[in-house]
Amino acid sequence: MAMCTVYTAHSLNSSCSISTPTKTQLGFHQKQVFFYSTVKKTSRRGSSNSSEITCSAESKTVVIGLAADSGCGKSTFMRRLTSVFGGAAEPPKGGNPDSNTLISDMTTVICLDDYHSLDRTGRKEKGVTALDPKANNFDLMYEQVKALKEGIAVEKPIYNHVTGLLDPPELIKPPKILVIEGLHPMFDPRVRELLDFSIYLDISNEVKFAWKIQRDMAERGHSLESIKASIEARKPDFDAYIDPQKQYADAVIEVLPTQLIPDDNEGKVLRVRLIMKEGVKFFSPVYLFDEGSTISWIPCGRKLTCSYPGIKFFYGPETYYGHEVSVLEMDGQFDRLDELIYVESHLSNLSTKFYGEVTQQMLKHADFPGSNNGTGLFQTIIGLKIRDLFEQIVASKAAAPLEATKA
Amino acid sequence: MATTLTGAGVSLSTTTTRVLAKPDTGMLRPPCLNHPWRLHKFEGRRLRIQAMATTPERISEKVVESIKTAEEVCAGDPVSGECAAAWDTVEELSSAASHERQKNKESDPLETYCKDNPETDECRTYDN
Repeated sequence: MAMCTVYTAHSLNSSCSISTPTKTQLGFHQKQVFFYSTVKKTSRRGSSNSSEITCSAESKTVVIGLAADSGCGKSTFMRRLTSVFGGAAEPPKGGNPDSNTLISDMTTVICLDDYHSLDRTGRKEKGVTALDPKANNFDLMYEQVKALKEGIAVEKPIYNHVTGLLDPPELIKPPKILVIEGLHPMFDPRVRELLDFSIYLDISNEVKFAWKIQRDMAERGHSLESIKASIEARKPDFDAYIDPQKQYADAVIEVLPTQLIPDDNEGKVLRVRLIMKEGVKFFSPVYLFDEGSTISWIPCGRKLTCSYPGIKFFYGPETYYGHEVSVLEMDGQFDRLDELIYVESHLSNLSTKFYGEVTQQMLKHADFPGSNNGTGLFQTIIGLKIRDLFEQIVASKAAAPLEATKA
Repeated sequence: MATTLTGAGVSLSTTTTRVLAKPDTGMLRPPCLNHPWRLHKFEGRRLRIQAMATTPERISEKVVESIKTAEEVCAGDPVSGECAAAWDTVEELSSAASHERQKNKESDPLETYCKDNPETDECRTYDN
């Protein structure tokens, strides 16, 4: 989709935009210039009324990176994120049924597993896990993400998770927002440069174990020991290759066991920290009451009654791997709608378009895991922040040629 | 609506489309325009066959096999790369299985029908 803006040479108060059909999909990015003269308008200077419409190809693709270990809520995050932009994300119609790609009106989500250079048998022979950089083709990843960012469609390979083989490629057209999710979005420095915003989901070991038990106990063949062994066996590679990516992320969602219930091992109540890097372009961190100060807040009291174990918030500046960050932390869970709206009304810089948008988004997906605690809340907030980032980037890119025509 | 490209110097019409590799649908065009109902009957059968192929059964078996393999491999040498790769395969398949379960769980027949046919009586929504 190419957006064309009409600029009149003499007055800038009549501007309209038209969209042309997508020729850019075929791999060209061209400037299409039309000249026409307006009939009725009188020009102040008396010279010929000609307006110039310049269309630039979709170079406004915003690229977002999301890193997390397998089984850590990336798909839930994806669904919340695409929902903020409107529409449901679905696999491409008519293509490979085992495709990992999701497409909605504004966003395309690419799973980085598609850039595995070794398939399952290859990895078995070499004795490497999928977490190992040797099993991934970072050159191809960089080329294709760069091409999509510039508005060129690519043929992306498909990694079939069921068969463990690399399937024939599928065509990916450049979207407005491209999300790359997987184990290594921030591993390669060249790919890191292409990301407009990056998020890391950092799940602590106890919570990871509890979530994997929930996920896998329904599956026959699995037992507690096999789940534990699986986590342990992957841990060395995870710590060496995946975990270091969190220092590069613009936002980290850290999930820890709760501090409200002593000796809790169920993992139902969670303490979630949203770590937001300061000084990121177009991203202003969420804060509580007073930006830059340290606040500890328990909303439950006279105005709001909560059930056990209640809710506790914390906000403050910290340093994280040498960067200045602001941390917003929530411990506990929401039981009722009014708790959620009460909390939302006290948070600032949420980038919502109307009062109650966060609550509305959370309610829309009340069946998603984490909808009653900080994971859902912070994922929704990050989704709104990404929308805000996207709009700011688009506005800044539209302003740049405007400056050029004025001069 | 044909537009001229000043940059490339090539004229493209809007009717050119990129040819994608489409699986199977080419076969669904027998010359029986006189019996459109038969066309849909084939479609239905084909769709049903495809649906059966993607039930979690095939993945569940793979998960069970992979766990057995991993336990065997690791019994020999618990810290080798092969052991890690085997458990990684287990993790990958468990993840795929849970995604399949979620996908199948979510298919409400009315919702899927209405997604494709929003104008039918059952699917009309009246907002005001």
